[in-house]
Amino acid sequence: MAADIIVGIGPEGSGEAAAHYAAHLAELLGRGVVLVFGYEASAMGPRGGPLEDQIEAIAAEVTNEVKQRLIEAYPKVSFEIELVRDRPVDSLIKVAEARDAELIVVGHGGGGPLRAALLGSTSYELVHRGPIPVLVVPDDPTSSDD
Amino acid sequence: MADKGLKGGSLGIVAVIVIGVASTAPGYSLAAGIGGISDAVGKKAPFIMLFAFVPMACIAAAFYYLNKADPDCGTNFTWGVRAFGPRTGWISAWGCIIADLVIMPNLAGISGQYLVLLFSEKAATNIYLTTTIGMLFIAAMCWICWKGIELSARSQVLLLGTELAVLTVFAAVSIYKAFNGVTRTQTVDGVATTYHSLKPQLSWMSPSGVNTHDIIQGLVLAVFIYWGWDTCVSVNEEAEDSSRTPGRAAVLSTFILLAIYLVTSYGAVSLLGPDFVANSSSDALYELGKIALPTVLVKLLLIAVLTSAAASCQTTILPATRTMLSMGAHGAAPAKLARIDRKHLTPDYSTWLFGIGSVVWYLLLVVVSHNTSHDLYSSSIAAVGMAISVYYGLSGFSCIWYFRRHLFKSFKNAFLIGFLPLIGGAMLIFVFIKTIWDARNDAYGYGTVFGIGTVLLIGTILLVVGIPLMLWCSVKYPTFFRFRHDPADTVPDPNSEQTLAAQLGTYTKDNRYGS
Repeated sequence: MAADIIVGIGPEGSGEAAAHYAAHLAELLGRGVVLVFGYEASAMGPRGGPLEDQIEAIAAEVTNEVKQRLIEAYPKVSFEIELVRDRPVDSLIKVAEARDAELIVVGHGGGGPLRAALLGSTSYELVHRGPIPVLVVPDDPTSSDD
Repeated sequence: MADKGLKGGSLGIVAVIVIGVASTAPGYSLAAGIGGISDAVGKKAPFIMLFAFVPMACIAAAFYYLNKADPDCGTNFTWGVRAFGPRTGWISAWGCIIADLVIMPNLAGISGQYLVLLFSEKAATNIYLTTTIGMLFIAAMCWICWKGIELSARSQVLLLGTELAVLTVFAAVSIYKAFNGVTRTQTVDGVATTYHSLKPQLSWMSPSGVNTHDIIQGLVLAVFIYWGWDTCVSVNEEAEDSSRTPGRAAVLSTFILLAIYLVTSYGAVSLLGPDFVANSSSDALYELGKIALPTVLVKLLLIAVLTSAAASCQTTILPATRTMLSMGAHGAAPAKLARIDRKHLTPDYSTWLFGIGSVVWYLLLVVVSHNTSHDLYSSSIAAVGMAISVYYGLSGFSCIWYFRRHLFKSFKNAFLIGFLPLIGGAMLIFVFIKTIWDARNDAYGYGTVFGIGTVLLIGTILLVVGIPLMLWCSVKYPTFFRFRHDPADTVPDPNSEQTLAAQLGTYTKDNRYGS
């Protein structure tokens, strides 16, 4: 079985450009795509229960919408969804390792190095910590204002 | 796996400690609390600093085990419902929200004041300027919570490290100067007062010579400085090697906090004596810093207090809004409170509602304290101490009652889920009742309104407003108020493998199971 391509999906379609690029590659290489939505509420307050349940419901909805659009554009590629309760970076690494994946594709919202150092950035961190090759795709400027 | 980073995999021990200590916000807590505490107990401030930790640590044990049974972001709300039923849970939640709301003006006020002090001491007395900045601060912090912006682990470590380092230097220099003797004369309103340094003594850590009334008055102020520490106990869920990390992180963060509070209170009290601290209570840490430290370090001290206040503000807004979210989601309050923003994955309605409430409450306090001579900042800390006492105290008793079938199954159970929560709960409820009793006659010196102490007024009125509000909700949301507390035989032993409680509302008064 061919190894998967992992894609990071964020709220409101961030990572959609990355997902399209991953699907494009998957079609060329004959691979499957796994859409990963990692989410974690801030640890500066109590967590669990309805907070995470509701975030998970939103994550499922958003990821499903992306999946539907991808299926229409790339009918030959198989798409799967994984929702993970962890930081986005750790979620991607977890799924990549569990599935023995081939490539991780993530979007990049255009934040600079200062922002990445202060607040952290999924793509910056993943490039350094990724256990397998990582591909960073700039977000479509029209789909995200971040 | 390659370099795991600070938070690698999941929360590592350093991250848990940083969260625990940063949430407690030692810099801000000291800036806000040291003046009032010195006023209450004089040079025995170090004793109160240590003593106040006892009930807080005891309640943390209750939080830890209740969180194992039901890790719900509504914490004491959910646990109150499970142990005693919907009404107690609702009131406990109200206590938590009020505690968070009452402290916001203080956070905003101190941030406004310390930010202006960075640039000009004269401008810091301009109440319009500091109030405007304070309001902007609340708005900015709500915006940050709503956007879900969080500092990276490395930035948090850096900020917290600076904060602790500056406080330690301040304490060390103050104690050193106190041993050599310092004298300052200060003129306030034409009256000159001379303050002398005191040689630090070990007896400041003992309660000898302090009467119960002063200890209670000190405690109600000092429970606030440890408020937030419990976060590092309840982040256990995701922590790496969760059987050991939270325990060790809690012990280490406790050690850090106790040490920093102890040395800084020693430094503060010894530098020019407790009266100086008490008389400059609104910006005590700054006044002391100016005497002890060179200008550059004073600026750094101000920045440390500011970053600490920002962290504290986050750990005030998040628990309040998540309690509101939990109430909305479980049907105890309007469902809108549980709405989550699709882009930022945070509760938007609750966050802004809390923000607006805070600003209104802040303005009200500024107007009242500006037109009267009342020291409403200190009394708002006392009021928050009362609200904390209520909801922490209730959580302690919730723990004992909820796990009543398991209390005597082992020594460990009896100690951790019985004895500690009992001590903590009893101490806090006693502090609450005694404070009300004493504040009747304005024993607190924060001024009176119609012959009643303002502490009593602020704290109790806000808590009491919860009762009609709860009754209104019980008419509006009857389903929730038909919930029954979990029957004792359905509660799992918190030390066994099976620790997940049944869904909230599984048991209802008309025995219609599984709503």
